[in-house]
Amino acid sequence: MTAPAPEQAQLKADAIGFVDALVIGLAATSPAYSLAAVIGPIAALVGVYAPGVLLASFVPMMLIATAFLYLNRVDQDCGTTFSWVTRAMGPWLGWIGGWAITMTGVLVIGSLADVGVSFSLLMVGADGAADNTWIRMPLAILLILLMTWICVLGTDISAKLQNALIFGQVAALLIFAAVAVVKALNGSSPLDEITPSLSWLNPFGEGGAALSSGLLLGVFAYWGWESAVNLSEETTDGASAPGRAGLWSTFILLVTYIAVAFAVVAFAGTEWLTDNADEEEFVFAEIATQVMGDWSWVVLFAVATSAIASTQTTIIPASRTGLSMARRHAFPAKLGRIHPRHHTPDVSTWWVAAIAIAWYVGIYQVSANALFDSLTALSLLIAFYYALTGVACAIYYRRHLLESAKNLFLIGVGPLVGSGLLIWLLGLSIWDMSDPENSYSGQSWLGVGPPLVIGAGIFLVGIALMLFWRSQDARYWQERPGVADPDIVRGGKSAISDPDGLEG
Amino acid sequence: MTVVLGYDESPGADAALEVAIDVAKRFGEPLRLVYGAAPPGGLGEEFKAHRDALTEMGQHATSHALARAQQEGVDATVDVVSAKPAMALLRVADECDATVIVVGTSGESPIKGAMLGSTPHKLLQLSTRPVLCVPAGD
Repeated sequence: MTAPAPEQAQLKADAIGFVDALVIGLAATSPAYSLAAVIGPIAALVGVYAPGVLLASFVPMMLIATAFLYLNRVDQDCGTTFSWVTRAMGPWLGWIGGWAITMTGVLVIGSLADVGVSFSLLMVGADGAADNTWIRMPLAILLILLMTWICVLGTDISAKLQNALIFGQVAALLIFAAVAVVKALNGSSPLDEITPSLSWLNPFGEGGAALSSGLLLGVFAYWGWESAVNLSEETTDGASAPGRAGLWSTFILLVTYIAVAFAVVAFAGTEWLTDNADEEEFVFAEIATQVMGDWSWVVLFAVATSAIASTQTTIIPASRTGLSMARRHAFPAKLGRIHPRHHTPDVSTWWVAAIAIAWYVGIYQVSANALFDSLTALSLLIAFYYALTGVACAIYYRRHLLESAKNLFLIGVGPLVGSGLLIWLLGLSIWDMSDPENSYSGQSWLGVGPPLVIGAGIFLVGIALMLFWRSQDARYWQERPGVADPDIVRGGKSAISDPDGLEG
Repeated sequence: MTVVLGYDESPGADAALEVAIDVAKRFGEPLRLVYGAAPPGGLGEEFKAHRDALTEMGQHATSHALARAQQEGVDATVDVVSAKPAMALLRVADECDATVIVVGTSGESPIKGAMLGSTPHKLLQLSTRPVLCVPAGD
């Protein structure tokens, strides 16, 4: 039989244009949604130093992104935490890493859909409906189902639309920032405006404790940015289109975040922000209305589309990690099923949606604020799997760290420092969350704050499932950690798919 | 000159296989079975696992079709191409200067096909060669 191996589908530099690469880098972070979700809480924590904290949060993110970059180089085509950690540190940690990355997706989908629906309703002026859980929740569930169905159909039609939307988002945010700063400067803000100052860029302005809580939220705001770095690697020539696009998307993201942070703080003043801190992302909606007046729909539309688009772009990676784990016998084989006609992993996609909906509905029964508590729990998971990936990078490359100063810093020290920072943040926030007073709902679950219970609960369920699956099918646990192939590291040959022959 | 067939295990594909074998026999031309194994939904996390799964599925699916064509005495070969189905077909068709591209349609509504970008729909817009669309049997 003649069934030749498929030609190697390496990403080609010329296959991805400047605009596409720029969009991928920005869309993966979904700036409007992230800002809407974190700007209120960050400003409440650190006051005028919100821009500084957003700037500082970029540091651990950047260090971890280099780990993603180098790991992607030896295990090509966008494997992620699950594949890499398994190769570097063995199946136990690999499984937990894969679990964490899937659960981050599952957990955030409900909140994305909720924000998408709320901001859409606010945009059309249905403020009452946006406040009513019984209108918002069914719509959000419908939205999740619709997005899941689109993911199962595997359609690509939205690509062009998303390109337009992402630029619209960034433009809307920057216009909002400009208008807010102008109004703050000429004193026409209805709130208690303050004049912006460069000292706001100092992340240490409000002290260490506030900084660490702020950083964890800031890391959430940059979550996803590593895909821009992976793309820029598609060409070694940094001056060509994707490399430039990677740099540009970073620059645009930083400028947008810092500009909006400046604008929000200058326009509203810290007192108003602290008073309204428990409103979470609706702080942003409120300020948008104050700043833009009749044009506030532009900002609301940006947040709504950002959240809706991310609902879809979050389902795909979560279901793919499920597929990848199933193919390596780390999950039941059923989850690895591919729909014959649509060519998508339909079973794992529907599972992701089902768990996301169950989570979303369940958490709402507990409390409306529990959704935001689950977002805090989410940053714990993100910090955990980013830290794990950073350590995996240094371990996988351990034989090459001393080959050059560049290797030592970019592959070894950088990712380890990034991981260290994240673990430190993780520890501090666990300490912080063990006091129920510090959660958004102010409730006490088992004597500690709900986010910690949620975060720990997810890990415990994961460990229980892992032990159960280990007893059912031990094949995945036969995989042994390895090291990076020296020839690929030194550029002697290009990476091949599945270097250790582990994926069957 | 060659007959190029887009084949996966979807409902329309078997009807298309029968027609393609028939056409290849009548023209006395070789048949190339093409399976596009690029995952929909673009790049991103665990892209490779998805593509590998599709490649495996493609090889499995086409092996049956290949046996069927060879049994009918047609000179048939298989291409599992790392591209989305429509692009894979166009690429192979250009490569071998195909007489006709044969694809199955699974009877979806025209609007759905246009909105969601079905393979036959894309081919009809993009191909510079004749495209033969075969409806799925009952």
